[in-house]
Amino acid sequence: MDNPTKKSDALDIAAPDPKAVEAIGRALEAHYASLVQAPLPDKFVELLARLERDRASRTQGSEDAFG
Amino acid sequence: MPSASFKDELLAEIRNLRAFAISLSGSVSLADDLVQESLLRAWSNSEKFQPGTSLRAWLFTILRNIYYSNYRKRAREVQDSDGLYARRLTVPGDQESHLDLEDFRHALTKLPAEQREVLTLIGASGLSYEEAAVVCQVGIGTIKSRLSRARAKLVELLELDDASDSPVERKVRRAGALLD
Repeated sequence: MDNPTKKSDALDIAAPDPKAVEAIGRALEAHYASLVQAPLPDKFVELLARLERDRASRTQGSEDAFG
Repeated sequence: MPSASFKDELLAEIRNLRAFAISLSGSVSLADDLVQESLLRAWSNSEKFQPGTSLRAWLFTILRNIYYSNYRKRAREVQDSDGLYARRLTVPGDQESHLDLEDFRHALTKLPAEQREVLTLIGASGLSYEEAAVVCQVGIGTIKSRLSRARAKLVELLELDDASDSPVERKVRRAGALLD
């Protein structure tokens, strides 16, 4: 019953049921969304703010930097 | 020298970068170290970023390189992401083929790292095949192959061939609807 032409475009792996692929896709998105939405420590924002301040003071060195 | 907008663009990517780091290392504490180091490296190498290309893919490449050169051994010893997952174990369940998220996460851990990585990059981080190929430093054919294998393995682990519809229906369909 298997259709030999029904293959994914990668090597010789038969394409799984589209419904199954869709279910996996949704679960993966839900899983990843929970990681993206997890509480973020302040240190990353603080780090970038500090790098930005260092850059500003190094390149400008005078008050007209904010003009 | 990085511009002010570069900082804002980095800010916008932190959450995604951290999610990728957690997926890669299986550890929130290692992921935070990786993100910190990646941001520093991105900042000091900002002139190497090509405007118009994906900043996300560029950051992922940096983080992945740091991980594989310095963190991989540590990652095997520290797997502390369970606490993070425990807070959100349910997904909105209005789909016909609902998957338990905990089952799914367990199945993900059974995949080879290279397959899990590609699945995450394409299926969740929104990278194109081309961008994923750059991040993983392999050809597009390899990306497609890993993606297919990852999906096939998950279908097998989660027994989705049986769960996607009833066994009776499947039998009937296979027999060309001739069986009672």
